Amino acid sequence: MIDALFSQPNYLAAKKMLDCTVLRHEAIASNLANVETPNYKRLDVAPSFETQLQQAITTGDPQQIASTQPELAVDTQATSGRADGNTVLLETEMMKLNQNMVEHTLETQLVSGALQKLRTAITGQI
Amino acid sequence: MINILPGIDSTSAALNAERIRMDVVSENIANVNTTRGLDGKPYQREQVVFESVLQAQQNSDALGSAPQTVQIARIEKDQRPPIMVYNPSHPDANAQGMVAMPDISIPEEMVDMIAASRAFEANLAVVKDARAMAMETLSIGKH
Repeated sequence: MIDALFSQPNYLAAKKMLDCTVLRHEAIASNLANVETPNYKRLDVAPSFETQLQQAITTGDPQQIASTQPELAVDTQATSGRADGNTVLLETEMMKLNQNMVEHTLETQLVSGALQKLRTAITGQI
Repeated sequence: MINILPGIDSTSAALNAERIRMDVVSENIANVNTTRGLDGKPYQREQVVFESVLQAQQNSDALGSAPQTVQIARIEKDQRPPIMVYNPSHPDANAQGMVAMPDISIPEEMVDMIAASRAFEANLAVVKDARAMAMETLSIGKH
């Protein structure tokens, strides 16, 4: 019964997206660490996660949302303009770092907001 | 072990590697006029070679998709020959009055140093954001 409190699709999806931003941050950290490593290929969260999560949200099934799992994969879209075969571009990576940071802020607020609403509903106080 | 700061392993390894690179650059600049090294020959320019290391991951067996750290694979001697400079009064001059000077170009070293310091800054930005993200995550559910 108490599980139902925390199984609204929005809350679960925000949690999954939060996992995704933390994982993407790890990928960006790895990319920036290897900005000068020859033949390093940049990593990112696998694009399949986004489509899976979108599908799961449209079904509205909490179980299906909870079963999606972000994963890291080599970014096959990234092309290298460099002679050493490395596909990391410093500027792009810094942009993604900032973007990811803002996404993380948004998602923590979504999760906090969901919990806040529950608390308000339980206590009747704002 | 729980990793509160995401990506901190990659970043700290990179900061370390960039610092070693900076050390090598400063060694090259310091020895720009060294005509007699420990082996009695003119100083040979050195450069670092980076390599990525797969981070130990508990639940990922897919090679190449786990976060990677970086390390200095080796410090290589640059094989370019010394420049011969005419200076008969130099103690290391040969019979023709030529002195073998290390072939180090200061602009080249400076460019390498700037690249190292920019890479260092980029990695510091990752730590800063990792910390901010962790603090935000810790404040979930607070008023």
